[in-house]
Amino acid sequence: MKKVFFLVTALVMLVCVSAASAEVVIAFSQIGQESDWRTANTDDLKNAIENHPGWKLVYDDGQQKQENQIKALRNFITQDVNYILFTGVVSTGWDEVLKEVNEAEIPLLLVDRLPDCADKIEYAAAFGGDFVEEGRRQIVWAGEYLKSIGKGDMDVNIVIMEGTTGASAQTGRTEGNLKALKSYPHLKLVGQQSGNFTRAEGQAVMESWLKSIPKIDVLIAQNDDMALGAIDAIKAAGKVPGRDIIIVGCDSVKAAFDAIVAGEMNCTVECTPLYAEFVVPTIEALERGEKFDKTVIHPKENVFDMNGGIYLGTVTSIKAADVISQRRY
Amino acid sequence: MNKRFDFSALMQSKVTWAVIAEVLILLVCFAIRPDFFSISYQPSTGMLYGSLIDIVNRSAEITIISMGMTLVIALGGTDLSVGALVAVSGAIALKFLRWDVLTYTTPGDYTVYPYFLVLIVPLVVCALMGLFNGFLVAKGGIQPIIATLILMVCGRGVAQILTDGKQFTTGYSPFRVIGQGSFLYLPMPIIITIIVVVAVALFTRKTAFGAFVESVGVNASASRLSGIKAGTVILIVFMITGLLSGISGLIYSSRIMSNDSNNAGLNFEMDAILAVVIGGTNMAGGKFSLAGTVVGSLIIRTIVTFVYYFGIVSEATMAFKALIIAVVIVLQSEPVREYFARRARRREALAGGDAR
Repeated sequence: MKKVFFLVTALVMLVCVSAASAEVVIAFSQIGQESDWRTANTDDLKNAIENHPGWKLVYDDGQQKQENQIKALRNFITQDVNYILFTGVVSTGWDEVLKEVNEAEIPLLLVDRLPDCADKIEYAAAFGGDFVEEGRRQIVWAGEYLKSIGKGDMDVNIVIMEGTTGASAQTGRTEGNLKALKSYPHLKLVGQQSGNFTRAEGQAVMESWLKSIPKIDVLIAQNDDMALGAIDAIKAAGKVPGRDIIIVGCDSVKAAFDAIVAGEMNCTVECTPLYAEFVVPTIEALERGEKFDKTVIHPKENVFDMNGGIYLGTVTSIKAADVISQRRY
Repeated sequence: MNKRFDFSALMQSKVTWAVIAEVLILLVCFAIRPDFFSISYQPSTGMLYGSLIDIVNRSAEITIISMGMTLVIALGGTDLSVGALVAVSGAIALKFLRWDVLTYTTPGDYTVYPYFLVLIVPLVVCALMGLFNGFLVAKGGIQPIIATLILMVCGRGVAQILTDGKQFTTGYSPFRVIGQGSFLYLPMPIIITIIVVVAVALFTRKTAFGAFVESVGVNASASRLSGIKAGTVILIVFMITGLLSGISGLIYSSRIMSNDSNNAGLNFEMDAILAVVIGGTNMAGGKFSLAGTVVGSLIIRTIVTFVYYFGIVSEATMAFKALIIAVVIVLQSEPVREYFARRARRREALAGGDAR
């Protein structure tokens, strides 16, 4: 009986070892499906990894809950995967579980969002949008656009609709927003509130602002979904979105392009979700034994607006109508 | 008949304190900004326009769900699945409106399947899901909090599978009417809420059903012995709650003209339970107050609107909400109510003495 048990165990172990050596297992702990952007991000990475010869994907949807993601990361450690891709729903509280990942010596790739503890842990590579730069571009676009229509010297009231409090996209974009505002003294900040990155809350926040703030000229929404929600609230208040109130979104989802082409929104600063094109080569390089330093790898991003041609210091805006047909998400 | 106004009973009622709390919050709003109360007519939408309207309008989803939740709590249970059902309802509606976003690529003023299916299927599915909850509780003898946990957890998953994890957007104008339309100068969600509240009130108070619910909530076995079919009552209550979650989901998704499987109805179960508790229904079951629940739901929304209107900084929002709710709950606590009731009784006794 003992012998049989031993044999079976040995066989199982053999199968496990051979299976493990046959493929590279890449685990991905994603936040959830909070928006179109996130869906595009997930689909892009999933497709690229699943279709890569010799790679296997273990995907976990965190359903917007930190505890789910922590659980998933611990599962990945138990499964002894080869790489962990990780996007955290909030920026704090990851120290312990990420240290466990380090101790298990599984290369960690931080995707899209950097946790606060990033400088205290080891990671193989980090990819992410430059949120501060996106925030800066939003304000600079509004300032330069106002100049281009001859309103550069007029006092203009601006409101900033922030994302989920504590998310690195919110802290980064807010930092960029506020820094850039200093170079445009005519832009007066009259409101700042979180819309939680969702359409419904963007709508409710704008609805209240339209009543509590006598005059709003520019809305800076830290993602397109909140901007789209706000558009409905602006219409309900009898104002014309895109004309009475200039709307600058962020992310560049398809629905924002539709709104810009329809003239209901003015600008969207791109934050591309298509990470596979640099995540995949990075993992291939890591497989070859190459090393990366801790600097975040930024994707190349654009700014899209109604007419194009607004110079923002680092990029020039592109007319949304010209590229809408090429948008994949 | 010489029926005296019973002041001490009034002060002891939790509903009174809920109303007082709501009035106090509104008074604070009024003190800071009197124009918080301004209501005007908005010609472009044909609706009344003002913060008070917003409060009632945006409380619709929670008010509607908490009508069902009141009955569930009166039975001595809780329904945790309502938020997930909101997401399911929205996902089904958008699925029928758009069906396949790869074939019908741009959102427009069209629906792929007939409009009545868009409305009926989500409601039927949600009612069935509610019935499933009720079945587990009534026939399976599972505690409601555990039974409804199943759909709470997997409901959102179902919603995501239905729409391939995508957010569908629509421009179909008849669908917009539910969340953004108007009737009699009022936003449509308010009208729907009024209909639901009246319907539930009539069903529970004009028939014996309300009494059955309270009886089962106090003691299920005793009610069974006295001839009430406890199981059937439980089934009906959970089914109603499911159906109401479905209605709420249609309103939510119509407001944003899309489904949002992760955020639609998120934490609604908590808000609904809170509304019921603030409204004075005891979590242990028994007597319930639908009017109190409506006030509870309004309080929750008033706080949110307060935060937006007065620009409470995002970081402090949660703490601020918690603080107000803590005050409301303390105001309703037994010792506080007892204190005021005693004072009222003493005053009445003094007044009685004078008359003699």
